[in-house]
Amino acid sequence: MVFLQLFLNGLQLGAIYALTAVGFSLIFGSTKIFHVAHGSAFAISGYIYWWLASQLDVAWPVATLAAVLAAAAFGLLMERFIYRPIQRHEASFFTVFIAAFGVSLVIQNLIGSVAGRGMETVTTPLSRSVEIMDGLFVAPISAISIGVAILVFTALSYFLGRTHVGIAMRALSENPDLVRVFGLDPGRVAQWAFVIGSAVVVPGAIFTAMTAGLNPAIGTHVMLVSLAATIVGGIGSVRGAACGGMLLGLAENLAYWKLDPQWSEAVTFVVLFAFIIFRPSGFFGTPTAAR
Amino acid sequence: MTTAPVLSAQSLVVGYGGRPVLSRVSIEVRAGEVLCVIGHNGAGKSTLMRALFGLTRPVSGTIQVDGKELAHHVPRVLAAHGIALMPEGRGIFPGLTVAEIFDLALWSGNIAEGERAARIDWVLSLLPPIKAFYGKRAGFLSGGQQQMVSIGRTLLSQPRCLMLDEPSIGLAPKLFQDLLQPIRALQRKTNMAVILVEQNVREALKISDRVVVMKAGQVILDTVPGELSDNARLMELY
Repeated sequence: MVFLQLFLNGLQLGAIYALTAVGFSLIFGSTKIFHVAHGSAFAISGYIYWWLASQLDVAWPVATLAAVLAAAAFGLLMERFIYRPIQRHEASFFTVFIAAFGVSLVIQNLIGSVAGRGMETVTTPLSRSVEIMDGLFVAPISAISIGVAILVFTALSYFLGRTHVGIAMRALSENPDLVRVFGLDPGRVAQWAFVIGSAVVVPGAIFTAMTAGLNPAIGTHVMLVSLAATIVGGIGSVRGAACGGMLLGLAENLAYWKLDPQWSEAVTFVVLFAFIIFRPSGFFGTPTAAR
Repeated sequence: MTTAPVLSAQSLVVGYGGRPVLSRVSIEVRAGEVLCVIGHNGAGKSTLMRALFGLTRPVSGTIQVDGKELAHHVPRVLAAHGIALMPEGRGIFPGLTVAEIFDLALWSGNIAEGERAARIDWVLSLLPPIKAFYGKRAGFLSGGQQQMVSIGRTLLSQPRCLMLDEPSIGLAPKLFQDLLQPIRALQRKTNMAVILVEQNVREALKISDRVVVMKAGQVILDTVPGELSDNARLMELY
């Protein structure tokens, strides 16, 4: 029963990680920008939702919309004012990494000084657990978060497979030069990737606010996990990132079965290292020849 | 002098990291003309094509479309002016299906929604073999099929000026003719201008009206194919 309980909790956490990892993977896949500040979109949208829904009593659809807009705007601004100027000067991966890391620190501290450094949660009846079987507690929010994750992935695959912008994003991930030859502006396509990749973290951020709660450093934690999930899933594969996120969420919770809670983050990295050693190309990645 | 050339360049200088790849190249192509550009590997043919299409910014020199310089000489604007480039190598996205590649081309070419199906039908009528693999991922196609898709893609916008950068690469001569004959027929019918960069000189000259020979980043000869038909002359240039 404990195992089943942990498994269910793991599914819920996995759904949240999967959503975040997919956003990162989408951005990295199509633009090749290592968007370390991706976790900040999570933190910003989570706090916007918390502030509107629980401090100002705004209706949840409005608060959700505001959170989506905030995350998308953050992604767009990062592309426009941080990554694009750096890339224009043909700067290295390292410059991009440090710049993004710096931004995420600034965001973390801004959130801390505005909202306080403590834990904040949005209280909702949805997160109240019900005993559905002897010793098995489930909150409606678990089912909702898994359902929403499935919904978002379905919408995303429709978007990538059927819409012009989605096809252009896949094209950009394969060959930016050829995208220009087609007469498209790769910068414009990259902006779409940032907007959509940032917006898909919002459900995860809201569910986190409703369950485990938010703290200013949440972005860093989420970023590490989605990075690990992206590598586990195979870099550049959106489907892989979703599976990777789910696997890490499950692993983190199932670890409680035998280990103390402080080991949960370590488990994430054990899974990551296992993949790096035994299957470095991840679930769906194509193995690259040694250089 | 009647009308201005569709695409022309004067004293084009292009360099990657200080080393000039093109030094003072002037070239022009007029409506209804097939211009063949030949020369060794590294003569600067592809660089010239990239510069003309706005993919590489020249150090100096000017490029005109219909005799006028563009405010922004970038591929997007050139495409809007009816110029299309089939780039060197694989001009396809391996992970996309042929249908998706065509869809992307029609969308980026701002072709009206209602006209898209007709454009696809038109290209499929020019290059009928594409029908057989229209729904497949381009990465699974043979080299010849991929080149056909790449050419078909450039035709979707019904360009006034078509730039083909080594369409014969990796193709058997017979396949090459299969690919070029429909283009030549179309070009005669629509008065399209074509710039054809080729290594396969003999085959390319068969369908050209004028030929430009490049060597070490310069144009060393501008003539008609007949002048080069005798082998001695061609050997001398190489």
